[in-house]
Amino acid sequence: MRMPCLVARESNTIPQSVLYSDPSSVSEPDSHDIAYWIVDMQDWRAGWQLVASLREHLSPKVYLRPIVYMNADNSMPEEISKAADGQLNGNLDNGTMLEVLASSFEKTNQWIDHLPDTNTAADANISFKVLRLIASREGEQKPVTTVRRKSGYVYPLLEPLFSKRDEGVLEILEFLDTQKLISGSFVSKAHFCSSCNSAFINFKESCPQCGADDLAVDELVHHFRCAHMGAMSDFMRGSSMVCPKCDRELHHIGVDYDKPSIMYTCNQCSHGFQDPAIMTSCYNCGRSTEPENQLSRVISAYSISAIGQNAASYGMEALFTKILDSELQLCSFDAFRDFYRVEAARIRRYKKSESSLAMIALRDIDKLYIRLGGRATEVFGELSTVFRTVLRQSDVITARNESIFFVIMTETSTQHAERAVERLREGITELLSSNLDFAPEMSSLIKTISVDMDLDKTLEAFLQT
Amino acid sequence: MLIENTIDFFLNMDTAKVLAYFWPFFLLDMTRYLLLDVVVISVYAIKRVFHKDQYALARRQLYKERPLVSILIPGKNEGKHIPRLAESLTRQTYKNIEIIIVDDGSDDNTAEICRRLEQEGKIDRFIRNEVRGGKASAANTALSFSSGKYIVHIDADSHLAFDSVETILLPFYMDPAIGAVGGDVRVANTDVSFVTRLQGIEYMKSISIGRTVSSELGILRIIAGAHGAFRRDILERLHGWDVGPGLDGDITLKIRKLGFRVVHEPHAVCYTNVPDRFRALARQRFRWDRSMVRFRVRKHRDILLPSLNFSFLNFLASAENIFFNLILDVKWWVYIVQILIIHPTILQYVFLINFVLYMAANFLQFFIASLLLGDSMRRKDYLLAFFIPLVPVYTGIFLRIVRTYAYLMEFLHGASYFDKWNPWKVSRVVKEEKL
Ligand SMILES: [Zn+2]
Ligand SMILES: [Zn+2]
Ligand SMILES: [Zn+2]
Repeated sequence: MRMPCLVARESNTIPQSVLYSDPSSVSEPDSHDIAYWIVDMQDWRAGWQLVASLREHLSPKVYLRPIVYMNADNSMPEEISKAADGQLNGNLDNGTMLEVLASSFEKTNQWIDHLPDTNTAADANISFKVLRLIASREGEQKPVTTVRRKSGYVYPLLEPLFSKRDEGVLEILEFLDTQKLISGSFVSKAHFCSSCNSAFINFKESCPQCGADDLAVDELVHHFRCAHMGAMSDFMRGSSMVCPKCDRELHHIGVDYDKPSIMYTCNQCSHGFQDPAIMTSCYNCGRSTEPENQLSRVISAYSISAIGQNAASYGMEALFTKILDSELQLCSFDAFRDFYRVEAARIRRYKKSESSLAMIALRDIDKLYIRLGGRATEVFGELSTVFRTVLRQSDVITARNESIFFVIMTETSTQHAERAVERLREGITELLSSNLDFAPEMSSLIKTISVDMDLDKTLEAFLQT
Repeated sequence: MLIENTIDFFLNMDTAKVLAYFWPFFLLDMTRYLLLDVVVISVYAIKRVFHKDQYALARRQLYKERPLVSILIPGKNEGKHIPRLAESLTRQTYKNIEIIIVDDGSDDNTAEICRRLEQEGKIDRFIRNEVRGGKASAANTALSFSSGKYIVHIDADSHLAFDSVETILLPFYMDPAIGAVGGDVRVANTDVSFVTRLQGIEYMKSISIGRTVSSELGILRIIAGAHGAFRRDILERLHGWDVGPGLDGDITLKIRKLGFRVVHEPHAVCYTNVPDRFRALARQRFRWDRSMVRFRVRKHRDILLPSLNFSFLNFLASAENIFFNLILDVKWWVYIVQILIIHPTILQYVFLINFVLYMAANFLQFFIASLLLGDSMRRKDYLLAFFIPLVPVYTGIFLRIVRTYAYLMEFLHGASYFDKWNPWKVSRVVKEEKL
């Protein structure tokens, strides 16, 4: 029997049917008994912080669990009120209400229960969290417009994941979409600043000659009987229109006069024109540029795909590693371990040569996903090529996750291995700094392979650093 | 046989009979078109030689002052002609020009073509009126966005000789009383068909010679919209063009009424494309001829009536036009009736002799024209001489029938109020207000 759990700073007056957890100690062990989290939104800003800390939790049993608001009113922004899975009307004593909510979340909770209890390193990855959140809920995640975020759109369910940073959700969704892990359906199209990703862009008409946007707009008026053609302002006499050429009053548009076109006049350089140039400027970073230089994105509602469902359940070796795999034939970690054992034995037997183990970690690889969005696949493809050109056919590679790689370099001294890793670092830095304004930091460690070295401990030690 | 008899018939006539049978030629056409042409053009050609220094002086003054000249090109669905016209304008000897094109509600790709030319800097300004307003309103739109001291109006389906802008401006620097200068209009597509060749000859006769003569006599009544130069201050006083058709003749008369001189400059050449089929030509002339009645007889009736502003030359300019076009059209029918009813037996002789007389007159005119136009004649223009024998049939029969029909329609129905130049709503207002 699952029970709701109130997450609050104080625990006074909580009925028997509701569990209690202090926000600082929300944890997994007993959470499989939890039906949903209850967060008091009387002070919605404080409540929102609790919601964010729940969703940012490392354990899927915590961050995936439905969240219900208590004491919610209309004062909070739409994207925050919609971030909850449900609302508790009334107080915690309403047992029926609590049960109704619990049963409505049963499907989600069962999905959470079926997740394997393995390592949750991937759950630290925000892309993976996004994927799992989408997979755990039924239906589409629909975007909601907002002025509180510079992306202009938020996905309420995912919103708490991004409470501390103001970017990335659209790029992550785009990336997951290109990986076929989720599928989008068209909702809208929007323009974004190409330098800061802000959706708040001002589109304005400007002078094609001098670029100023201080323009006067006037309609041209054609008086039929005398063929006079002039600006509307020349015709205005008080509230009526009188032709400056023939002095007659104009009565009905289409009958005795027409407005065949519009003219713009630049107040800076006096240039007159009909086709104003359109310029955009970003409210966030102030950059001005032509509309075609800004980013145009399709905004979609997303639902999980079959591949995504699988990846959400069993981990997402999917991302960079998947691409690497197709280029380099990565081997599984078990096979890697076997190979390591064989190689260590071989070296001891012949004592003729030296082989090395290289451990490589790329930091901030999820930042890469965010920066690259839909382009990630392409850049990762090129990254894989860098790996391939540096490593040799006889090297054995495995990926612990998308940012940690282990390589057995046969017949290679630590010195040579060091050099290879150095070339790898150079290649990656060069590739990424030409595509982006940053390159992920790479740390590495080289060890000589020997039977005396325990592989698991060595790798674990490297991961700790 | 017929020819011998005809010669016999002609030689056996006394002067009275010649006049009785061929009075239209000897009393009217020979006097008006031939003698006048020979005398006036000869005098003009000699004067031009003597005034060489004045022309040179005017040219020096023009280049010293270097005024901005606005080239106005209004048109509808003329996009395909614009690149060539723009090209001919960029090659002008006179460079201080601004080119303003107004698209009067085209429904083809004219706007695209012109916007591109504007971006490439080949034209200075392109204004599109989404709603069609008629030729006058398009010209007025262009005028209101222009800033040149002189305004040159060109039809979109024409192009200019390389020194045309310079040449058409010279008269302004020779006589401050000149308010507008008409440029010569020649047929660009003479070598396309029989019809265009005949029009090539006709334009030389009626425009190059005809307007030069009128101009010399001080009775020029039309500055062609296809090619005309105006002083901006005068156009502004008149608030631009009035609603068409016949707006060219209309504005010319208004300028005359203000007391300015209007002259023709045969050496400022503009080439225009003419209809290459008889049907299209008939439709075009039908339009032109109707507008003549409307503007001379209806709108500017005051010129014919004695008043305070009465000017004898203005009277002549209009009267001559009305008389020779309208009355002579009637005369022609009277003559036909006379021959058919009174002298049916000698029909074939009369016809043949008339043909020879008019053909000879046409050869003489062609010769005069080539004297007048000199080096601005192209080789293919000289070759037109071979088609002169056919001109009497073209002008004497084809054009006369079209003209008579047009006059009848205009007098009976006022048909030109619903014309091709103007959208129906403009035409309706014009008709209601009897403009
Ligand atoms: Zn400007
Ligand atoms: Zn008016
Ligand atoms: Zn920006």
